[in-house]
Amino acid sequence: MGARNNKNPFDFLANPERFMAFSRWAAPMFGAIAGVLALIGLILTFTVPEDYQQGDTVRMMFIHVPAAILASFVYLCLGIASFLALVFRHALADAAAQACAPLGAAFTVLALATGSLWGKPMWGTWWVWDARLTSVLVLLLFYLGYLALRGALDDEQKAARAAAILALGGVINLPIVKFSVEWWNSLHQGSSTLFAKSEDRLPAVYAWPMLVMCLAYLAAFGSLWLVRIRALVWRRKARALALKAAEA
Amino acid sequence: MNLGHFDFDAGKYAVYVWPAFALSAAVFVWMIVDSLASARRWRTEAERRQAQAKDPSK
Repeated sequence: MGARNNKNPFDFLANPERFMAFSRWAAPMFGAIAGVLALIGLILTFTVPEDYQQGDTVRMMFIHVPAAILASFVYLCLGIASFLALVFRHALADAAAQACAPLGAAFTVLALATGSLWGKPMWGTWWVWDARLTSVLVLLLFYLGYLALRGALDDEQKAARAAAILALGGVINLPIVKFSVEWWNSLHQGSSTLFAKSEDRLPAVYAWPMLVMCLAYLAAFGSLWLVRIRALVWRRKARALALKAAEA
Repeated sequence: MNLGHFDFDAGKYAVYVWPAFALSAAVFVWMIVDSLASARRWRTEAERRQAQAKDPSK
């Protein structure tokens, strides 16, 4: 066995040049996959029969649930990237954390807004301070706090460290978001996805569109995340060159 | 699964269903435009700085 085989398989992405070469084709590829899946998902969304209880509002499930899943998943990515940036001081991990925060905030806003639009006709209210809704609002506040902290400090390294610590603190909220409907009485329904108990699971007619839309959202996130990391790599390169020119 | 026809008539729920889809579309448009614009901007800036470093007269 050569030393090359003992390397971590993700090491090749840690090198900015290799990452740029990889993301150059991976970002448009994920974008194309997202486009195709979204098209299939939307066709399924508007051809499934309406629900016997919820009527046509059931179609909102195919955009609300993927947004909610991505809101938490992106935060998990933010937490992992922040941990790697904090512990190994890796610039690309820091860029990955910085790049996913606005996307995660956008998915969280979508989850809250589409949930509210679904909640009004089904629950009779736009908002309740129950555990699921409140914990997702807290998730949004962590995203906004992260973004605000990164923008508030002039010293980028200090800002990155402070924001990474905040991001890691916010990871505690993820199991609260996930299990809030089991730990507390909630107006929000429990899980009905693939991992739910068989009696709670969605029928196939609704499960398939939701799975396709979840994969579309995931692919879209993958593509946009890579594009934003690339932007940050170029930004750092431009700033380093500007600094070099100023010193010369 | 009946994929025979599209059902765009959300009836009395249209006032909730369509804004949810419109908002989702708008947020996706923002994410795509902002990400691509930011990448383009910094790529151009990095390339300009690099060209300037090679040839200071530029």
